[in-house]
Amino acid sequence: MTATKIMPLNPAPDPGPDTREPGTIAPRPVLQVSGVDKIYGNGTVALKGADLTVKQGEFVSLLGPSGCGKSTLLRIMAGLGQVTTGNVRWWEQDYGVVGSRGRKLAFVFQNATLMPWARVRKNVRLPLDLEHAGKSEDVEQKIDDALGMVGLKGFDNSFPRELSGGMQMRASIARAMVTEPNLLLMDEPFGALDEMTRNKLNDDVLKLWKEKGWTIVFVTHSVYEAVYLSSRVVVMAARPGRIVDDIAIEEPYPRSPNFRVSTEFAGYCRQVSQALERASAMGEDRDEERQP
Amino acid sequence: MNAPLIRNERFVQIGAPLLVGVLVLLVWQLTVMAFEVPKYLVPSPVDIGQSLVSDFPSLFNALLMTLKVTFLAFAIAVMVGVAASLLFVQSKWIEISLFPYAVLMQVTPVVAIAPLIIIWVDDTTWALTICAVIVAIFPIISNTTLGLRSVDPNLLSMFRMYRTSRWQELMRLRIPSALPYFFGGLRISSGLALIGAVVAEFVAGTGGAQAGLAYMILQSGYNLQIPKMFAALILITLTGILLFALMVWMSDRALRNWHESALKVEH
Repeated sequence: MTATKIMPLNPAPDPGPDTREPGTIAPRPVLQVSGVDKIYGNGTVALKGADLTVKQGEFVSLLGPSGCGKSTLLRIMAGLGQVTTGNVRWWEQDYGVVGSRGRKLAFVFQNATLMPWARVRKNVRLPLDLEHAGKSEDVEQKIDDALGMVGLKGFDNSFPRELSGGMQMRASIARAMVTEPNLLLMDEPFGALDEMTRNKLNDDVLKLWKEKGWTIVFVTHSVYEAVYLSSRVVVMAARPGRIVDDIAIEEPYPRSPNFRVSTEFAGYCRQVSQALERASAMGEDRDEERQP
Repeated sequence: MNAPLIRNERFVQIGAPLLVGVLVLLVWQLTVMAFEVPKYLVPSPVDIGQSLVSDFPSLFNALLMTLKVTFLAFAIAVMVGVAASLLFVQSKWIEISLFPYAVLMQVTPVVAIAPLIIIWVDDTTWALTICAVIVAIFPIISNTTLGLRSVDPNLLSMFRMYRTSRWQELMRLRIPSALPYFFGGLRISSGLALIGAVVAEFVAGTGGAQAGLAYMILQSGYNLQIPKMFAALILITLTGILLFALMVWMSDRALRNWHESALKVEH
């Protein structure tokens, strides 16, 4: 049984200066998932033969029916889950090298996942504290910048319970930002929010993605969200979880809210919806095959 | 215009149970007087009050002894209990190996083993303290272990992603997560420490300079000083209530900003 190797902690090699235009897609692979199977101890096949390459600066959405392994794949991408067979490479290296204290990776969970006992500022600075970054002016500035960029300036001393769901999620994004990640993995971050807050946060994430030059892999259930945000939509089918389609959204950035009401948007949504229906049908076919 | 006192939540919280207490005492006093019940059978509240005043020096010394054993036992139960919990969460194997012995201590009646402890341990105070620790320690171990394990799995994943040390995980994540459970354990354990101290005193039958409230109850019973017996009982009850209130206050201070149990919800 092959597993994602967790190597001893080595100094992360410098990937070199980032000379590309922020928000543009360069051919350099950030993440390569090759022939990954994930079988749980109870025999459930969560992923079968997953192959996916994410290039620097891409915004890739993983879309699929419930139970198709989107979140499992994302956790494997974050080095949080072991694979049964196949392998995952980050910047053509092992997680043990690149994932050194998460400098290049950040994860935003389905819920805000804030420490309820800590104030917003302490929550945002958590990754830096875990890296023993100290309390230098530079560190404090990073936290101020992150809070400012997500619109939470002035809420440093609030407790998470004092914030709305949307604001908690912003704090979660700010926490991911302070690490200055090259790769941001987001697991249905806005799934529990109302439509308006969700649209606003979608625009904010797109803006940050462009400004910061992040690479984002974004799990979502929403066809509209996937099309609006992504440069690529990867469609997955269930039972077993596998990648069945990869659709490029060739609409230039920045994407304004007008894009949401354009015929191009409707066209892409139809294309992705059809792919999703095919993916769902594949899962149902498998279910029928299993019937006695 | 000021709201009527009856609508004041704080007034009602204190006033309502106080009123019930006063009514019960009144009925008690009137019943004893009406039926002329002798004080060696059921003393009236006034008799008990008089005993509290006249026997105060001996009762106070007994209270100090019981408090000493209770606080000593409670402190040891907290320290040993928390240490055991921290040990348990280090490895499932350690927990599996040792937890049954913690349960064993919980289910063994202290009355049954107190005579042994009193034989083994020369110093009476320490013998009583050990008995009280045995009674008080389990809620601390059980609750704190549960709390240290009840960590948000996503937060734990995040910590693991940042490759934190066990120490960081413990200090920054597990201990704060365990606080509500720990304080729940404290509330139960504080009362049990007092019960353990009193039960151990009954079994030990300690006399002389080291007589606690339980011994005072025994002695008063033998001498048919029933009002004094009730007075000692009242002191034990008041001690228990004050201990519980202290734990509630501490829990409220520690959790009031973030935990549901201590939040003041406005409707």
